Amino acid sequence: MKRFDIELSAGIFMLIGILCLAYISVKLGKLEVIGGGGYSIYANFEKSGGLKPGSAVEIAGVEVGKVKGIKLSKDYQARVQLMIKRDVALQEDAIASIKTKGLIGEKYIQITPGGSDKILSEGETLKDTESAVDIEELISKYVFGKV
Amino acid sequence: MIRIGFALFVLAVSIFLTAPTLQAETSPLKAVNSTTDRVIEILKDKEMMKAQRTTERRNTIRKSISEVFDFEEMAKRALAAHWQKRTPNEKREFTALFADLLERSYIKKIESYSDEKIDYLSERIEGDSALVRSRITTKRNLEIPIDYRLLKKNDKWMVYDVIIEGVSLVNNYRTQFNRVIRQQSYEDLVRRMQNKQEEELFSEKK
Repeated sequence: MKRFDIELSAGIFMLIGILCLAYISVKLGKLEVIGGGGYSIYANFEKSGGLKPGSAVEIAGVEVGKVKGIKLSKDYQARVQLMIKRDVALQEDAIASIKTKGLIGEKYIQITPGGSDKILSEGETLKDTESAVDIEELISKYVFGKV
Repeated sequence: MIRIGFALFVLAVSIFLTAPTLQAETSPLKAVNSTTDRVIEILKDKEMMKAQRTTERRNTIRKSISEVFDFEEMAKRALAAHWQKRTPNEKREFTALFADLLERSYIKKIESYSDEKIDYLSERIEGDSALVRSRITTKRNLEIPIDYRLLKKNDKWMVYDVIIEGVSLVNNYRTQFNRVIRQQSYEDLVRRMQNKQEEELFSEKK
């Protein structure tokens, strides 16, 4: 009888452990179990260095979406798909820039809202972008010059 | 016979004269390139570079630049959400002020040009907008990438943003203007810009 109790509690413990693991992987992996409310737009960058799926999209420091995917376009640009929360409207002339948190922190996308009447809808492309400024490249360029 | 010859001559001349402008209308790269070439021509003209002709020279440069730069679009994009709240009169006033400030702050840099190499790398057209990529190589062999964003307006390609070393001019001013307007007011922004303009005018006279 006593032995059965131990086995049962071990089983329950395992079950809780597996549930926790599943919860953590959904949370950390930023998986969307249920659809996820929002619309996706695209932005083309010359260089998306350091940006990853799951990176934050911010306006005024407030997270309004996430990077959903990054692909190489036909003309060798980085085509970034952004998932934006449904209640956030983005104008056609908004500017998306890749920024770094701190000096060497993670990369995120900062959007400066525009003033156009035209609001971007699902699947449209944000034309104005600023690529990641590669600090190391800049430093080396001005320190060593170019041959 | 002479008449036909003359007619052909006129035809040839008119084709020759209109060809460059037609090309400028069809290609954004050509639009940027021809303006830059025109400005460089002025800067290479020793006669024009004499100190006593500064005002005349600057006016000519400004005129060439404003042919391809759409300052209204730039001002509109720089003010972003605040643009719509302004009256048509204020918009006009702001555009003139912004254009003047931009020209004044960049004209000295333009005039310091001394045979740097400018390469036009590529152009990308998507519907009514385009991106022209260029690169300036300085004498110390530094390569500075400069990209132009253009919009097609009335069949003419006009620049509305310049991206130097990955930093957008419009975005820079948009952030600054937004901060001043939020913390103070639009009137304060205009006052600040006017002060800056006076400063520039003062330093130019010296």
